[in-house]
Parts: sequence; C-alpha cells; structure tokens
Amino acid sequence: MDAAEVEFLAEKELVTIIPNFSLDKIYLIGGDLGPFNPGLPVQVPLWLAINLKQRQKCRLIPPEWMDVEKLEKRRDHERKEETFTPMPSPYYMELTKLLLNHASDNIPKADEIRTLIKDTWDTRMAKLRVSADSFVRQQEAHAKVGSSTAPFVWACCEGTITWWAACLATQAGFKKQKFLRNRPTCPE
Amino acid sequence: MAEELDLMGQDSDGDSDEVVLTPAELIERLEEAWMNEKFAPELLESKSEIVECVIEQLDHMEENLRRAKKGDLKVSIHRMEMERIRYVLNSYLRCRLMKIEKFFPHILEKEKTRSDREPSCLSPEEFAFAKEYMANTETYLKNVALKHMPPNLQKVDLLRSVPKPDLDSYVFLRVKERQENILVEPETDEQRDYVIDLEEGSQHLIRYKTIAPLVASGAVQLI
Repeated sequence: MDAAEVEFLAEKELVTIIPNFSLDKIYLIGGDLGPFNPGLPVQVPLWLAINLKQRQKCRLIPPEWMDVEKLEKRRDHERKEETFTPMPSPYYMELTKLLLNHASDNIPKADEIRTLIKDTWDTRMAKLRVSADSFVRQQEAHAKVGSSTAPFVWACCEGTITWWAACLATQAGFKKQKFLRNRPTCPE
Repeated sequence: MAEELDLMGQDSDGDSDEVVLTPAELIERLEEAWMNEKFAPELLESKSEIVECVIEQLDHMEENLRRAKKGDLKVSIHRMEMERIRYVLNSYLRCRLMKIEKFFPHILEKEKTRSDREPSCLSPEEFAFAKEYMANTETYLKNVALKHMPPNLQKVDLLRSVPKPDLDSYVFLRVKERQENILVEPETDEQRDYVIDLEEGSQHLIRYKTIAPLVASGAVQLI
C-alpha cells in the first residue's frame, strides 16, 4: 500500500468544520451528513472538509489534540519510553499533513505543530527500526504489535514503514529457506 | 432531490446469505475486502455479491443525480463520494486481475480440483479471463519459441514454470474476533512450535499461511 493509498484511508476520518453556507441533510452512500448551517460546527469526513475549504466554503477546526502544549508532552513522553506510546489517531501523520497544507490559516502555531509531529514521528521510526531489526535477527515467527508490547511494537497504519517491515521479515524468511535447501537432510 | 435520496437511508439486500446490509456497511465490507486482497499473497475468495451491490448503489445514485438540478453543491458532493467508492472498487478488481495474471496456472488448477461445497476464488468473468489468458500464453509461447524446438522439447509445464504464491510471506493483521490456540511454526530448527491467543482488537505480524483460514472467515483483517 503506497503513501497515497494510506492518505486515501486517512481521508475518511471525521473533522469539525464551520460552514459559511446552508444545506439540508445529505444522504451519502457511506452515511448521512449535515444539515449545514452557517456558523454552526458540523462533523464531516476529511476529504469533504478539504474540498469545501479549497472552495472557500468553510473554516476547519483543528482536532483537540493538535495543540502545541499537548503535542510537546506527547513528544517528550514518546522520547522517554522505550516502546510506542498511544497516538491520538492512527492517521495522525496524514491528518497533520493535510490539515496544515490546506488550512494552516485556521490552525494556530502551524509550524511548531509540524515540527513537533515530525519529531514524534522520527522517534517512533527509530524505535521501529530497532525492533524490526531484532525481530529479523532473532528469527521470530510472530510478533504482537501494540502500543505497549516489548520488544517489537508498532502502531497501525504508519504506511510505508509497515510495508517495509513486512518485506524485511519476508526477505529474512527467503534467506533462511535458501540456506535450508542447501543443507544435507538429516537422517531421522 | 431530498425525497429521491431518502432511499439511501433504507437497507439494501446483501448477498445470497440473505444478510441485509446498510449502504454504509456495504462500503465498509468493500474496503475490508480491498485491504485483504491487497495484502494477501494469494487470490482470495471472490466477493461478487459485494461488488454487484456496490455497482447497483453507484448506478442508483448516478440515476438520482442525473435527474437532479445541475450545479448544485449536493450533486458535487455526491459525485466526489462516488468517485472515491469507484476508486476502491476498481483497485480491488485490478488487484485480483493482477494476481490472476501472475498465478494463472495454479488458480485454474485449484478451480478444477475444488469441490462444490467450497466457494470459488473466481467470478464467472474472472474465470473466463483466466482461461483466455492461459490459452493466449500457451499459443504465444508455442508460436514464438516452442514450435522451433526439437520435437521432444515442445511442451512446457506451466504449473511448474510459473511461480506459486508465497504463502510464507509475513502480513500485518488486526484481530476482529478472538481466536485461541493458533499454532506458530518456528523459523529455526532450534525453536519449538508455540501457541498464541489472538485478542480482539490486537495487531500482529505473522506468516500468512498460519492465519489464511482466519482471513477467509473474516475473523482477522489484514492491514
């Protein structure tokens, strides 16, 4: 799954907007939205929020976790812990990127937020590399992945990294098989 | 416009098991099937009922939109949603076709030896495509190379020459229904088999082969 497809999935997340138009309830195939009244907040999927913002039909409200102090605390907590700490949303990277690219005027201290999220991401990637490396080295056959499991921990949907880790594990499997094929069979 | 779209709020008939799904649940099922198909190394069971229902929903919505006022904001929002659903559907079908093209002799062999009780991996259209692809490949190989070979070398065993899907590859999964006593085979000879329990909501990295039946039954979701 490439980065664009992960972003596609992230765009289903709900965010709050304040529309400047009015529209009665719409019945999408995926669920009902609205009604839309100017000045009143309403929850819509991210793909719609971005589109309405681009058409200057709404103002985006940043999610509650997208705040400098809260993100600083998270980043420090992540750096202290050896394993992964829970993230506000499985798609925190994609949400941040899309919201900051399209609606930075609606989000206070956008640059600081960008830096904080990037720092948290880097810390997590470093932990993942160490973990994946030990997984492959010790030739484990299974790993439970979660926010508080040692040694191998990983949080859902960090896109390209998951693909990379799975490839690495598969490649290690290949190397092992090739080695086995050349070994003489042992008598029972 | 509002009255026509009220239909969307009602349940639509699901698959042959007479399961009634709301349109939202249908789309979620489609996305789950799409993710499973993307990450599984082999061709999974064909979900033709879901595909047909989704196409029906899209056609229905298209029909409604054609009758609606032009240039309305609602129309553009509906169209955007339809494009997104179409993308998932197309990607799902393309992924399946890619696997059919990659593993065609094994898939056709499996289809030939399948019992009536087992569900098919191929929809009727996919089956026709696979057979045609096989016939075309054989003809191509014959015309380009084989007929110029000495008589005793003019046959090629596609089942042996085309690689099989690698069921030992590792996949990430999320557990939807709790499972107990899943046997994990060791990587090295020094290690022993061990059993694990899969808690609901947990995520794991494991060999596809171990959990293939759980993907088919819907107890786990590949991510």
